[in-house]
Amino acid sequence: MSKKPWDKGISRKMYTEEQIAQRVKELGAQITEDFKDKEEDLIIVCLLKGSIMFMADICREIKLPIKMDFMSVSSYGDDLESSREVKIVKDLDEKIMGKHVIVVEDIIDSGLTLKKVLKLLGSRSPASVSLCTLLNKEVRREADVEVQYIGFDIEDEFVLGYGLDFKQEYRNIPYVAVMGSLD
Amino acid sequence: MKKHKIEVMIPREDIKRKVRELGELIEKDIKDSDNEVICVGLLKGSAIFMADLVQRIDHPVKMDFMSVSSYGSSMETSGVVKIIKDVDEDVEGKDIVIIEDIIDSGLTLNYVKKFLLSKGAASVKICTLLDKPYRRKAEVFVDYVGFEIPNEFVVGYGIDYAEFYRNLPYIGKVTLLD
Repeated sequence: MSKKPWDKGISRKMYTEEQIAQRVKELGAQITEDFKDKEEDLIIVCLLKGSIMFMADICREIKLPIKMDFMSVSSYGDDLESSREVKIVKDLDEKIMGKHVIVVEDIIDSGLTLKKVLKLLGSRSPASVSLCTLLNKEVRREADVEVQYIGFDIEDEFVLGYGLDFKQEYRNIPYVAVMGSLD
Repeated sequence: MKKHKIEVMIPREDIKRKVRELGELIEKDIKDSDNEVICVGLLKGSAIFMADLVQRIDHPVKMDFMSVSSYGSSMETSGVVKIIKDVDEDVEGKDIVIIEDIIDSGLTLNYVKKFLLSKGAASVKICTLLDKPYRRKAEVFVDYVGFEIPNEFVVGYGIDYAEFYRNLPYIGKVTLLD
């Protein structure tokens, strides 16, 4: 086997494709169960770009009529993360007033940006807003966010793949890996 | 939505196999290029195809997204293209692969391809899961085609009917009733 171009950036696999698929299936089933009797529309919101893989997979495991929408935000301003502002690069296409919203994230660490996004979405009077993340780094949390659906709780390691990047690369690795030394 | 029924047109397993083939083809074509490769997905329809496809390219690629409007909730293409979200990445000198769910008139694609070339992209290729070639109104060369399909109303695997059904794991054929 020839060495893959990105082998140098990876120290070990954390979750394989099969492990991710299994967990995504479980989360999808749980969401299906929780929302199957609701009358209002369910909109699944993906925060670009990291969540795209998880979004694509979990939506297909939710066995209900849903709408999919995408949002792109960037934080700017102060170096101090907690005081940074959130700018909407691309807003939702859909109106969420009176709808149930599930925000899908690849990873939650400090939760600071997410908290601001949730506040913004909350101001549009949705029926409910829930949060679903593939990876959860509780140890890094600075903002108070309630996460209803968690794929895996992980330690404070730098992770790549399945949408997660290092300088925009490695997103297309089909598994979650721990970043290694780049020397 | 009008009263309708949906039948499976392309099953999940067939899509999976095709996506693997397309990924390998793209990988073969880009692996010797010195340029950085950026796969650009057109929201929202191509999101699922994009996510699956790039994971089958065993080579470093960056991912980016554009949102353009040409479809309303109606089934027909208006031909008017407005850029709602541009790419985040600087495309100058990069090899671009535009990822599309379905091409019919080709008007949108034609516009987006020219737009990316005007921003200095070294090359722009197009990959679509579904193709309706006889619906073409603009001349667009499509480099990678998953399935050529008849002129049916299709949904699923990212493609919607009034924003619903994008999350069907297969391509379904919609028949309007009454």
